[in-house]
Amino acid sequence: MSHEPAPGAGWVGRPVPLKEDARLVAGRGRFVDDLGRPRMLHAAMLRSPHAHARIVAIDTREADTLPGVFAVLTGAEAAARSGPIRPLIPTTAVVLDYCLAVDRARYMGEPVAAVAAIDRATAEDALERIRVEYEPLPAVVDPELAIGSDAPLLYPALGSNVVWHDTLTYGPVDAAMARAAGVLRERFMIQRYASTPLETFGGIAEYDPGTDVFEFWTNDQRPGLTISVLAASLGVPQSRVRLSCPDIGGAFGNKRRPAYLLICALLARKTGRPVKWIEDRIENLTALMHACNGIMDVELAYRADGTVLALSIRDIADEGKNLITPTQHNLIKLGNIANGYRIPAVRYEAWSVLTNKCPSGANRGIGKPFMCFAIERAMAILARRLGLDPAELRLRNYVTAAEMPYTTPPGAQYDSGDYPATLHRALERFGYTARRAEQVAAREDGRLLGIGIATSVEPAGTNLASYEIITGRRAVSGSAEAAMVRMEPDGQVRVSLGDPPSGQGYETVLAQIVADELGLTPDAITVTRGFDSTTTPWLYLSGNYSNKFSVTDVGAVVGAAARVRAKLLRIAAHRLEAAVTDLELAGGAVAVRGAPDRRLAFADLARTAYADVLGLPPGEEPGLEARHAHQNPLAQPVDGERRVRSQLVFSNAAHCCLVEVDRRTGLVKILKYLVVHDCGREINPLIVEGMVHGATAHGIGAALLEEFRYDAQGQLLTSTFVDYLKPTSADVPLIDVDRLEHPSPVTPLGAKGVGEGGAIPGPAAVANAVEDALAHLGVVVRALPITPEQVWRWIK
Amino acid sequence: MKPAPFRYARAGTLAEAIALLAAAPGEHKVLAGGQSLVPMLNMRLVRPAVLVDVNGLRELTGITPGPEGGLRLGALTRHAELAASPAVLERAPLLVEAARHVGHAAIRNQGTLGGSLAHADPAAELPAALLALDARVRISGPRGAREVAAEAFFRGLLTTALEADEILTAIEVPAQPPGWGFAEIARRPGDFALAGVAAVVRVAPDAPAHVEHARLVGFGVADRPLRLAGAERHLTGRPLDADIAARAGAAAGPDCDPPSDVHGSADYRRHLATVLIERALLQATSRLAGRPR
Amino acid sequence: MTTPSERLAVRLTVNGRPVEQVVEARRSLADFLREDLGLTGTHVGCEHGVCGACTVLVDGRSARSCLLFAAQLEGRAVTTIEGLTPAGGLSPLQESFRVCHAMQCGFCTPGMIVTTTELLAREPAPSTEAIREAISGNLCMCTGYVNIVRAVERAVAARAEGARA
Repeated sequence: MSHEPAPGAGWVGRPVPLKEDARLVAGRGRFVDDLGRPRMLHAAMLRSPHAHARIVAIDTREADTLPGVFAVLTGAEAAARSGPIRPLIPTTAVVLDYCLAVDRARYMGEPVAAVAAIDRATAEDALERIRVEYEPLPAVVDPELAIGSDAPLLYPALGSNVVWHDTLTYGPVDAAMARAAGVLRERFMIQRYASTPLETFGGIAEYDPGTDVFEFWTNDQRPGLTISVLAASLGVPQSRVRLSCPDIGGAFGNKRRPAYLLICALLARKTGRPVKWIEDRIENLTALMHACNGIMDVELAYRADGTVLALSIRDIADEGKNLITPTQHNLIKLGNIANGYRIPAVRYEAWSVLTNKCPSGANRGIGKPFMCFAIERAMAILARRLGLDPAELRLRNYVTAAEMPYTTPPGAQYDSGDYPATLHRALERFGYTARRAEQVAAREDGRLLGIGIATSVEPAGTNLASYEIITGRRAVSGSAEAAMVRMEPDGQVRVSLGDPPSGQGYETVLAQIVADELGLTPDAITVTRGFDSTTTPWLYLSGNYSNKFSVTDVGAVVGAAARVRAKLLRIAAHRLEAAVTDLELAGGAVAVRGAPDRRLAFADLARTAYADVLGLPPGEEPGLEARHAHQNPLAQPVDGERRVRSQLVFSNAAHCCLVEVDRRTGLVKILKYLVVHDCGREINPLIVEGMVHGATAHGIGAALLEEFRYDAQGQLLTSTFVDYLKPTSADVPLIDVDRLEHPSPVTPLGAKGVGEGGAIPGPAAVANAVEDALAHLGVVVRALPITPEQVWRWIK
Repeated sequence: MKPAPFRYARAGTLAEAIALLAAAPGEHKVLAGGQSLVPMLNMRLVRPAVLVDVNGLRELTGITPGPEGGLRLGALTRHAELAASPAVLERAPLLVEAARHVGHAAIRNQGTLGGSLAHADPAAELPAALLALDARVRISGPRGAREVAAEAFFRGLLTTALEADEILTAIEVPAQPPGWGFAEIARRPGDFALAGVAAVVRVAPDAPAHVEHARLVGFGVADRPLRLAGAERHLTGRPLDADIAARAGAAAGPDCDPPSDVHGSADYRRHLATVLIERALLQATSRLAGRPR
Repeated sequence: MTTPSERLAVRLTVNGRPVEQVVEARRSLADFLREDLGLTGTHVGCEHGVCGACTVLVDGRSARSCLLFAAQLEGRAVTTIEGLTPAGGLSPLQESFRVCHAMQCGFCTPGMIVTTTELLAREPAPSTEAIREAISGNLCMCTGYVNIVRAVERAVAARAEGARA
């Protein structure tokens, strides 16, 4: 979908400082915990101390009578008063899961009861007075054990903990392996970690018995989905559920747990008062959402010159107790399984397995960081095996710009990009040759420096038709978003989008886009904060996920703005008695080209549209408001060979990392970090660069610091920020960012995704650098995180 | 994460504080900086009936130079004060260095010396530094005032000589010899140390200078700050140099009994101790040679 | 001496204004500021003193408001992000953050501003390393800290420029 240059073009592409930053820096953001409702109560959750236990009995009598307590909710009551929570990805494992555990707790921290009280402290006091009799059951924590036939089962009725196991074969993999010069075989592991937004998840629920309407204020990032789940479980039509989102303090995929909103809704209905619940940090780390930990066996078949012939992957994704979105981590790997390489044959065998741990779910990059880690690690190991420079090996295998659009065996279509040029730019800017010399010189001084390269594609948007691979049928599909552009009666413009931002700068970037469409400045355009289901246009597919902004949201806004523009021109043409083709939009007015005195300001045109409606062209509807929903044209159903474009638009990047390893303590210090990325047209380079920094920092954290560790009984050992380590300013160096720009031919402005980018190759880049520092010792990095102790053990 | 209910009292004098503690020993707890206590309250790991806020007790404040080159430090001395004090820099620079390593600025502004000692986290910097300096802890309670050597103060994991109705009032620090070193390893700056060493070395005035007395204290290497006597024995009577420093480090291992946790195993911490002893002693060597560190 | 009580009156100054209120003993300063005074610019991120989102100034020095009880603040002066924001505008430091896009979701930002305000009051020209060290007790999940460090450097340079002018 091409676009003609918009009138007054010039805002898209500019590093405009963000409008929202002015209020955020003054502490004037409004986050969900800043909101209140009259007579509001506060909830607290009683959570299972056991990873796996039968809930034998719950006695709430002492809690019920504590002064200040207004309601106590148990699983049994929740099951009686609400329906089960509908999964996003319904596998063949059909199980009834309610907002509270009913007969069994299946992970440490699973909510088993809830209290609504006058304040949070009192609610927590009440929790301590609820007596739960548990019968502990054996817990299964290791995913390979969980697959085994004698593993403790989370759901005995399912007969297995394996929710999905399938093999997808694209091309003659075995034949390629047979004729290869060699096959690299490695096993890689990735830990559980999470993006842990600084603002925790939460919401307020209110029930109006008069209208039978439930109202929610929440930082849930996928309102389209959540409204649907809430309505179904509460037994009301969606038209009687209202959900709004204020400012959201980071989301990254983690902010979606409808169970908690349901609990608040049930408490609100029971007490007749609004109920607020905000998770605390221990609850967030223990029970909200972890990225799957996993085990991946890689077989990479290659020619003597390093050309990759085939790839076969066995991937075990440890989902914890996740029946809402199991297989999401597996499925999404199909988007970047070939990374940027020309791999003719690919096989992917995957397990999605339940264990007695925190539910898995979306995280920055979802399963793609692990997929990229495995591929880029394999390439690094292969380079060493063949005596090739790691950059050279990659260059021999990249899909080139001339081959674009290129379809990978599983069906992903790389729309544009120049992967070799990206790597060359990175190596040049990083000073690769000089760094290698530096490494050699340092070795003579007894210092261990290492250089790591990792490159990746960054998929954006998710075509939900890909779920058919899992579910066997198509119930949801495509990738779409809805937006509204409204010129108010005073000629100023308001925009709203079905995707609630959580730090991506939508209030600015959408204003830039609409400014170009309408010949205005961004100041004249207000993007409404957050989301409100009664006024924001939205679809089931609406929300913030999968890097979809450029893939769908931009198109929705451009489309809506284009309709408003067209209407302005029609009204102006009528009033100026000119042809639409003779008119131009600039400076907040419509004028006849070459006759500037024949001009109508937007406010004047808006007056016609809203007030002086007899002045409208015949047949023209009053108002100057347009809604538009955009679906990305690349989304298609799964084909007969089980190929699908699971993600739709592809950015790419090259990361180069220089580390120093302290040979005596194992501490790793990142001395230099460079990213060259290509996300197509950068709508606001300031925002884009910030995304690259932040995502890369998370990649560094995953490589060196972050890990949710469980003991054999399923007890989480890292449930505070003292034990679960996030990267600080001392851990993240200055990240040097450079860019190429290969616009996407399949998005309205040519922009591609950028929100997940750095988190995908980051762990591989750091791991490759550490391994490079220790290569002379024969060290191979196969798992994350790389702790100082682990490094010390390797060196010993 | 809200604490269990408690009552709060603000002590106006030391006597009032003691009376409040004595009214229900063990159930009434001192609130000073709160940087260790309040997280535990928030997590409901501790549930005192009464918090006795001692932050208003002026008699517990102040950094006073002593007559023989030492210092008396009020228990309410904040880590930030310690780190910025010219008197401490002059007379006990090891303490300045140790204080700088505690947490971050906001923690140092509130956390107190007395609180750090009373809490006795085995991975904390200040208890180890004070043990290395052979400090004495002044304690007051309903049975009067007493003084306990640092050596005898730290009894076990989070356990000190303080009785439940007593309060730490001041720390007497003798003049510090010029040979000293401080080194710690943490996963990130400001984190609890995986392991650390505070070293004070007194050398003979004649040449070649040999070590008369060394106090090498490890933190994070046992259930309390620990004199690494094996390493110290390696130094006594010998000149301090890089070779001796390395040997002393190697000899420290057997004395250590570190914990294993998510951040590091006992073996790793033991290894770090050997490296850190060496580093701390090299610093001491430099300082003794007059080289700036 | 106050008699041990579960509720007590506290008088303090917040952003220059006297405040008097009866509080529950266990009411944290963070919750007091946010809920009792409506000063929601101070954020709660962990309640165990690690993330720094709740950082305020107490008598001009940074403190974790999640680790203080409101009752402790008798006679003290608390400054929050609201108190560091001039009427009708932004401080030079805040403006620097804005221009450098030193935030994304904005949740860590008030704590960052308080911490860097204290840094700049203590050290007129901190090095990049000193800036990094000073903010290492404030977690940010969005920015990777790069622009935050740049913003403080820019503020330092602007201040030096202003001093020279």
